[in-house]
Amino acid sequence: MHASLYRAVEAVFRKEARISLRSRSSWLVVLMFALTTLSCVSLLMQGDVLSPRLAAAMLWVILFFSLLSGAGRGFADEEQAGTLMALSVYGSSQAVLFGKGLFMAVLLFALSLLIVPVYLVLMDVAVFAWGLLLLTLLSGTYGMAMAGTLLSALMAGARAQNGLLSILMLPVLLPILLPAIVLTAGCFTGDVNGSYLVGMFLYDAIMTIAASLLFDFLWYED
Amino acid sequence: MVSLTFSDVTKRFGGRTVIEGLSATLAGGTVTAVTGANGSGKSTLLKMAAKLLLPDAGKIVARDGEQELCKASYRSRLAIVTPEFHAYPKLTARENLDFFLSFRRAEALSDALYEQLLERVGLAPGAVDGKMVEQFSTGMKKRLHFAILLASEADVWLLDEPGANLDAVGRSMVRREARLAADGGKLVLLATNDREEEAEADACISLSGR
Repeated sequence: MHASLYRAVEAVFRKEARISLRSRSSWLVVLMFALTTLSCVSLLMQGDVLSPRLAAAMLWVILFFSLLSGAGRGFADEEQAGTLMALSVYGSSQAVLFGKGLFMAVLLFALSLLIVPVYLVLMDVAVFAWGLLLLTLLSGTYGMAMAGTLLSALMAGARAQNGLLSILMLPVLLPILLPAIVLTAGCFTGDVNGSYLVGMFLYDAIMTIAASLLFDFLWYED
Repeated sequence: MVSLTFSDVTKRFGGRTVIEGLSATLAGGTVTAVTGANGSGKSTLLKMAAKLLLPDAGKIVARDGEQELCKASYRSRLAIVTPEFHAYPKLTARENLDFFLSFRRAEALSDALYEQLLERVGLAPGAVDGKMVEQFSTGMKKRLHFAILLASEADVWLLDEPGANLDAVGRSMVRREARLAADGGKLVLLATNDREEEAEADACISLSGR
């Protein structure tokens, strides 16, 4: 009798959520990083108004570094806790990839839902297309989370994990960060170009398929 | 039944050859003990058998009957208890069992199965319920690792010093379960320096190390 992929993905997701809530480390680090950056930037601005593109870029930079500061440590944390061997022996590659990836996506999206309203108030930015902003955040955080999960798995075992992860993450995430910034800026001005969103969905689809194909090689590495 | 064939397997660490030219076939339905002094390569052999470590020379092939098993398929039929194996410290025993079971069984962990597993490994429900694994003693953690192994219904058991950190009752449980597993057609590979565990084995691989 074999377990279904859905049940295994759900189990990995639930395990990640439980450990995250109990250890409070990953999401608290991410949240504190975002809040510290936000408060520093708003205090330094002292009433000045940022251009929409700069405001959008800053929002996505905060999300990018939030991913790096905590959420991208999925497999490094497993290695530190000594549980990576157990996961390698019992866990199936696709369940681990999608369970961890989806959890990271939910964590990042929830974080962005917390950050964005605070950011808009502190930076005095108006939004003209709420629906599109929500879709941009959803697609952007999903793509970042899937890429982060794949690269975090690749980095497990490497000595300079944080440094390497940042270096590898930037070129992989640029194709989704740039359209996300342009779209977010468009939401702030009302001048939106929907084709960027199609590009982001395409990136998400390609990243999902590529991660799924590559993860088997990583997991059952010969 | 799953079998495991080592053909002229060599493993080196730096300039030191730990295992050289090992050839052996391990069949399902048997307990094979791996013995040798500390540093002779027992754990290395088990990690290679789990395909967590690659040999520098030679081949290790897992088969089900005549059919060669790919790594993913072999891994899905494997269970291990080694000193490096750790359950999740921030989960309870039940949550750990439920998590690891989700990869191997179609049905969720029932109360009856949970209680049966705890009883088989000698863990009292009252002593573990509501506690996270990080609050367990070393012996209790070892018993939980055995419960995970039993729950997985794996065809291949790789046990590295399974009696270590266990009391006499725990060591007796390990010997009993290993024998039951082999009698049920499973392949049991057991790295040990314990005379009683060695006596339970049907075959023995003695490593000298170098």
